[in-house]
Formats: sequence, structure tokens, C-alpha cells
Amino acid sequence: MNAKLMTTVASAIFAMTLASTGARAAERWDGADDLPVNPLACEAGGAAAAAAKPYDGGQPTNAPDKVGKPITIVDVPKLIGIGYFNATSKGIQDAAKELGNVKATTDGPTEAKIDEQIKFIDNYITRGVDGILFAANDPVAIAPVLKKALSKGIHVVGYDANSSPDAREWFVNQAEFNGIAKSMIDSMAKEAGEDKSFAIVTSTFTTPNQARWIAEMWAYANKCHPKLKWLETVEAQEDNVLSFNQATTLINKYGDKLSGLFGMTSVATPASAEAVTKAKLCGKVAVVGLATPNAMKPYVNADCVKSVVLWNPVDLGYAATYVMRAVVDGKLKPGATSVDAGKLGKLNVVNGSEILLGSPFIFDKSNIKNFDF
Amino acid sequence: MAALAANLRSVAPRWLGRHETLLGAILVVSLLILGGFNERFLTIDNLLNQGRLMTEVGLIALPMTFVIITGGIDLSVGSIVGLCAILLGYSWKNWGFPLPAAIVFAVAVGGLAGFANGLLITRVKVPPLIMTIATLALYRGLAEGVSQAHSVRGYPEWFFFVGQGQWLGVPTQLWILVAAIAVSGVALDRTTFGRALYAIGANETAARFSGLPVDRIKLIVYSLSGLMAGLSAYVLVSRVTTTRSDMGIGYELDVIAAVVLGGTSIFGGLGTIWGTVIGLVMIQLLKNGLALTGVKGDATIVVIGTVLIASTLIASSLQRRREYGG
Amino acid sequence: MSAIAFSRSHGERTGFIRRLASQEALLAVAVLALALAVGADNPRFLATRNLADVLLGNAYVGVAAIGMSMVIISGNIDISVGALIGVLATISGSLAVAGAPIVVAWLAPIVVGVAVMTLQGFVIAYLRIPAIVVTLGMMSILKGGLISVTGGRWISDLPDSFHLADIELFDVLPMPVVIMVVATALAAFWMRYSASGRAIYATGGNAEAARLCGVSPPRTVVMVFALHGFFAAIAALLFATELKVIQSTVPPNLELTIITAAVVGGVSILGGVGTVIGSTLAAILIAEIASALVFINVSPYWIHAVQGTLILITVVADIIRRRRRKAGG
Repeated sequence: MNAKLMTTVASAIFAMTLASTGARAAERWDGADDLPVNPLACEAGGAAAAAAKPYDGGQPTNAPDKVGKPITIVDVPKLIGIGYFNATSKGIQDAAKELGNVKATTDGPTEAKIDEQIKFIDNYITRGVDGILFAANDPVAIAPVLKKALSKGIHVVGYDANSSPDAREWFVNQAEFNGIAKSMIDSMAKEAGEDKSFAIVTSTFTTPNQARWIAEMWAYANKCHPKLKWLETVEAQEDNVLSFNQATTLINKYGDKLSGLFGMTSVATPASAEAVTKAKLCGKVAVVGLATPNAMKPYVNADCVKSVVLWNPVDLGYAATYVMRAVVDGKLKPGATSVDAGKLGKLNVVNGSEILLGSPFIFDKSNIKNFDF
Repeated sequence: MAALAANLRSVAPRWLGRHETLLGAILVVSLLILGGFNERFLTIDNLLNQGRLMTEVGLIALPMTFVIITGGIDLSVGSIVGLCAILLGYSWKNWGFPLPAAIVFAVAVGGLAGFANGLLITRVKVPPLIMTIATLALYRGLAEGVSQAHSVRGYPEWFFFVGQGQWLGVPTQLWILVAAIAVSGVALDRTTFGRALYAIGANETAARFSGLPVDRIKLIVYSLSGLMAGLSAYVLVSRVTTTRSDMGIGYELDVIAAVVLGGTSIFGGLGTIWGTVIGLVMIQLLKNGLALTGVKGDATIVVIGTVLIASTLIASSLQRRREYGG
Repeated sequence: MSAIAFSRSHGERTGFIRRLASQEALLAVAVLALALAVGADNPRFLATRNLADVLLGNAYVGVAAIGMSMVIISGNIDISVGALIGVLATISGSLAVAGAPIVVAWLAPIVVGVAVMTLQGFVIAYLRIPAIVVTLGMMSILKGGLISVTGGRWISDLPDSFHLADIELFDVLPMPVVIMVVATALAAFWMRYSASGRAIYATGGNAEAARLCGVSPPRTVVMVFALHGFFAAIAALLFATELKVIQSTVPPNLELTIITAAVVGGVSILGGVGTVIGSTLAAILIAEIASALVFINVSPYWIHAVQGTLILITVVADIIRRRRRKAGG
């Protein structure tokens, strides 16, 4: 009797699970978010002139006047202990050294958990700092604690992953989502072919940046490369071996049908390239993705990967620190159109309260040796 | 094993007093030391804020103490938090539930998820560890499947009262936690239900023979665990203002760490709510105090791990000395 | 709990072995049936290369599950194994890149792995601290320590000779699969036919009775953890040498996958029952399911739910089968 009861429960759960799998919303590609999209024009270099938008950031209350005075800032990335945020942290330290009157530390959770990140920021508010730099694990979840920081007179600047605009003063945008999406899709269409099929390896479906990029890629592909066919998206955490296994499974599943793989993270892209290499399909399956040059050098040099899309994360951290200094010094106020960022020159303000680092950079065999991060 | 358990049981009252006193002493000393390093640590503001941050794990740690006292374990609580958070958001935004109904629904589903655990554990005799490892994957998977990994945002202002508001100067959720601590503490200490939990954990067969409704009690305990995970999900969503399917990942280990640090034996039959509360406060304030003193996140988890092992070691060696001495 | 363990140890030896054998048979049938079912839908699933890739990419889980099974059979648990594998892979890779002889880079993680696990086994067995507490604490220490030391720097430019996983025996059999099969066979044989192997079952089944039979439960537990450290180190080597870079972080949720393989393989979490053949088959089954779900187009959003359900069904089916057998005589 017990057995019967159990079987019923188990099969009910199972049926429920499977039943729902039938109803896939096939609108956007899996792993895309449902926010509005804004695909760029199809022509090359068609950087759409963003409509001027009024400043929409938040402001600290009664921030102490520290113009030109030494400040202590803390950098709380999504997580510590990965190459990407080591690079941004290096940029922050470089800028701090250059400026001479900024003392910066990087601290954060060891896993990209929204909860943990909030606790870290909360602790630094209690401890007392002049400024907080952050890369949000979730744009909305992080907002209350950032607003709390603003209310205590602490300056808040984001980089890499944004929060709701009113929870920080400025956000340093490494490259706009639609810009990344255009580079990725254009590269794929060029390397795999206009009418070929591809699959995507991402971290998790809930990672906001990746979900945003996939949504913009979907929009841009529909608009400019309608024959390019999406097959599926798989999750692979930020795990090397899992990414490799997932990419290998995709290759085995689709065989000749698969002509391209997108890597959405700096872990997934080299792992996908490795999977293609091991399957001896270099040249038959194109790998396009976001990755750091050092991880990709072997594959680019072996002609297995033609282009890697990324911005320079060291520059990103560097720019964020300069923006923080400019805010404290009163040089970057709401309504400003550009900011001076040391060796990077003048950076433009876009979307109201964002500072654009530049267009995404494409690394290929000719230039990849010049980069070391 | 039975002999050992019985032996432990006979020295339990005295030893438990010792264990908690000891743990409390360690707590006070480390707080004073950390307070000496940073004057912002031992302020009412900071302590109340820490109370706010530890509520979600705390609410789950209370029924987990019950579960572990009966000799069981529940690893699915973190996933139940994710499932309930998602159902709260989805039933409200996509299925048109009024928000208060969505809250009740989500918490109830938490209870149901726990009930399902309990049902298979008691009826089919699936060992609790395996059962809850399976539902750890299953409940998280349901959260991901239902939400298609999309988040739900845009809750009205009143919804944030529990997670961000305060009442009489104290964070709202801390009142809930304190009330839950009081109720579960009394339930464990002063009621037949509480005594039954110890009896089941010490020797389940004996408990059965002495006429205790063992299965029904276990079912209640696992349901309670799910229910509180559901409540915790509500508090969490209200605090962070958004709903994601990855909420509560890893909570199970935080919760278990607090409970075992508080002296509850993983073999069952031993433990108190007061110990769990001390364990919970100790982990939270240690993390906070270390951070304020300038210790970084990676070093902090090394310290927490060491404290977990060391304090259990000290407590158990004290216990053994008593055992041999008396 | 002790009462359950006691009634278990009552079972006749022949019935006991037959029961185990059929648990393994069930898993083997599941592995084959799943392969055929998915293969019918998409024949590519049965391509030699895909089957080899599934085995290759997950052999390290199978090897780690051998040690985990022993730990669980002895009545303990280990949550630190995923973190340890991350640490050992990093040690091995760092040595190889630093120019140490390859043999040293391969042996060092084995020494460290056995040392760390023996230490944990000692604390658990002789200082009588529950395994879940010790290994939970150790997980924190290893994880935090690894990030503190490496900062998550990737280890690349590994020498070609380091890649143990690239070696193919007789030019056809990939090394990881050979290691998994050999390790499983040796461990299974040893556990079934040697006195010290059977001591593990005795310790997990009924420590008091084991003591009376002249088995020292604490010594057995330390031995089990030392062996577990050895298998974890082998797993770490397979893990480290599979790709051209080592991430030097802790693989997320690896401990959970390994524990799941062990318990689905028929290892009773209450100790005393189970075999490592079962756990290896279960590791294969889990890897196969992950691959199959991609092949049959299950929406990836539902993958975890399906995995959880399948684990549940496997375990419950096993419990019911055992109970029937018991009731039937």
C-alpha cells in the first residue's frame, strides 16, 4: 500500500515535470530575459545615436566634502577569486596608485550569491567608507542596500553589472548590450555562414548580463541575420569541466548541423573551443564568445577560434575608480556629458547616468598577442 | 550505539548546560575582542541590522533543530526557499493572485513541500538524507521550470515592510524570529511534543514501542521545516525586493552549521533551541565582526570552518571528561 | 537508528549479496535502457564518440564516488570532497607549471589528499566529532584557503606530458575510463573478499557488534577516510588533466553529485550496505541522464527537476524491491 502511495506521488511529480516541458515559450531564445530590446542597425559601424536622456541616477545625502582629500573606497564585485574580477581589481589599484589620494580594497563573496553580496556591502557601510564600487549580482536585489549607502552619504558607482539607476550615482558601462550582441552575431554570421545553425553555452539563465546579451542577440539576429538558426541554449555555471561537457554534448547531438557555438562567459568560451578542438572540428564549428585573451591565445593561435569579443576589464576597473574620484571632487555632476578618465581620455555619458567605456573590442590572431590579462 | 545514546541522554541535562554556557562564553569573549578592534561593531544599530540579515537562516534553523533531534536531516530547505519565492512572485504577477493570497499560497506550498518529504520518509522509509538530496534537485528544478529563470519585480511598497521596515525601532523580521524562537523553544522544552522528539532521536524503536506516534511526529517536523522555509522565502523576497529561482542556494549548509555548532547532535536525541540560537548568532556576528575588522571574505570562511570544528571539539572533550568523571 | 542497523545485519549473507547484485543489475539495465530509448529518438546518442565522451567527461565523478561509498558504508559522510578535489587539482597543476617532474605533480595530490582525509578520519573516529561537522568545516577551510592563496588565477601552459587524461591505452582505451573501471573492480573485490574490506560493512552496520568481532571501528574509519583521500586525489588528477587550463576554484556542487552517485548506487546512508560497482554505475547513469536530457530536447529550465525526479524514482524503486524480497522470504 505504501508502495502504491509512493508511486502515485512520484509519478504525479514526474508527470507534472514533463507536462510543463511541452509548453516551451518559443518566443525568445532560452536564457534570454524578457526586458525590452534595442537592436542596432545592421550596417557596420552603425552606432545608434542614443537619444539624450535626463540624468536618472541617485544622489547621496549630506556626503562629506572630500574634494582633493584622500578617500577610502571599497570594491565589491559579484564574486572574488575569478580571473575577470581579478583584472577589474587590478585596474582599480592601478588608478588608485596613479591618483595617489585613493585607497581601494576589493572584497566580496566567494560565490556569486545576491544575499552574500548584500551582506558585504552592508558591512562596509557600517565600517564607514567614502565610496563603494560594485558589480551587481542582481540589479533589483542590490538596490535597497545601495540606497542605504547613499542615505549615509557614501558615494556609489557601479561597473560591469548595473543596479536600478536610482540606487547608484553612475554606472560605468563596458560596452552596451546591443553593441556586444551585434559583434557576436555579426562574427558568427561571417564565420559560420548566414544560413547556418548555432547553439549557446551560458552560465545560468538567471545571470542578468548574460540574459540581456542573449535577448539582444536574439533581437539583432532576427533583424539582420534572419536565416541564422538558433538550436538551443545550455547552462554550464562558471565551471570549466561542465562547460566542456555541455559543449561536447551539443557537438555530438547535432553533428554536421551545428556550425557555431557561442560562449557567453569567459569560462564557457575557452571550454567550447577546447571541445571543438578535441572533436577535431576546428574550422567546421565556429566558436565566438566573450573571453579574456590569455585563455583564448592557444585556440586563436591554432586557428580554431577566429575572433574573441571583449572589453578590457583592467580598463573597466580603472575607469570606475576615475569616475568615483571625479564624483567626490565634484567634477562629474548630473547633466555632465563626459568625464576625464586618466590614460583612457574622455569618456562619454550615455543613457542618462552611464559612462561608456567604448565599443566592444574584437581580438583576433593579429592583435591578441598584445594583450596580457 | 543504543547504549551510547542512552548514556549521552543520562548526562544530557548537565552537559547541555555546560555546552551552551561554554559556547555563550566563547561568543561573549570573541565579541568583546572584535568590539575592541572596531568601535562600530558593538553598536545597537549594527547588532539590529545583523539580526535583520540572519532572520532567513534563523527561521529555518529552528525546525531544523527539531529534524536533527529526531535523527533526521533536511537538505532541501534552500531549494524550498527558491521554490516558494518563485511561486510567491509568479502567483501574484502571472496567475493574478492578490499579493496577500500569493504570500499565503507560497508559505503553504513550503509546508506542502516539507510534507512530501515527510510522507516518503515515513511511509516509504526513504532515508531522510537521500530523500532531501533528491528534493534539493527537484524543488530547485521546479523553481527554475516554473519561472523559466525569469525574475519577478515591482512589488508594491507595503510588501517591503517585513523585510525592510521596523516596528518600535527593531527590524520587523526580527520580531518574527524572536517569536518563532520563543515558541519553538517552549515547544521543545516544555511539551510532550518536544519530549517525543528526543525520544525518537534517542531510540526510535523504543519510542514506537512506548506508543509514540513516531511517523505522525516526523511528518509534522518535516512539514514544519518546509513551512518555515516558505516563511523565510517571504522575508527574503521582501528584503531584497525581487524574486529569482536561485534564491536560497546553499542555505542548507548555513542552517546545519548553526544547528550543530549549537550542540545539537547529528545522531539525534540531543540539542536545544537555545544552543541553535547561540550558534546562529555566533556565526553571523563572527562574519560581521571579522569583516568590520578588515578580514576579507575568503579568510572569513576559513575562520568560520575552523571555529565550527574547534568549538565542537572543545565541547565534546568537555563532555567526555564529564562522562568519565561521573 | 541503531535498531534499524541491527535488523539489517540480521540478513543472511547469501541474501545480502544477492540483493546487492540485483541493485547493480537494476542500474545496469537503467543505463542500457536509457541509452537505447534516447538512441531510438536520436541515433547520434549511441555514436561511439558520444558514449566515450560521456564516460570520459565524468570518470572523475565515478572514481570519487568509490571513496564516498566506502565513507557512507562505514556510517559517515564527507561534504569536503568537492573542495578537496579543487585544491588537489590546483596543487598538481601548479607543480607541473613550476617545472616539477610530472611524476611529482601526479604524486603530490595523492600524498596531500590522503593526509587531509586521514586527519579528518582521525578527528571523526578518535575525537568522536560527527563527520558532517568536521567535513562541513573542512569544506569552508579548503574553499576559502584556495581562493586566498590562488586568487582564482587560471593555471595554463601545462606541459603536454601532464595530461594523464589524454593517454590512450593500446591506442583505443582512454585512460580515465580505464582508471575508473580498474579502480572500481579492485575496490569491489577488496571490499567483498578481504577482512579489512568487510570490516567497513561491520563498522557501518553495527559498530558495537563489530567491536565484539574483533574489528576496531575507529581504525576502520581512519582507513576508510585515507582510502577516500586516495580516490579523491585520483579523481582530482583526472579532473585537472582533462582540459588545457585549471580553474583553481572549487567546482560548484561537486560534492553533491558525488554523494548522489554513491546513494543512487545503492549505498545506504545509514551505513552497512552497498557496493562500489553500484556507485560507479550510478555515476555513469547520472552523466548519461545529463547528456540524454540535452539530446531529447527537454527544456533546460526543467533539467534539475527531471534529475531530482529520476533520483527519487531510482531510490524508491530500490527500497520497494528490497522490501518485497524481504516480505517474500
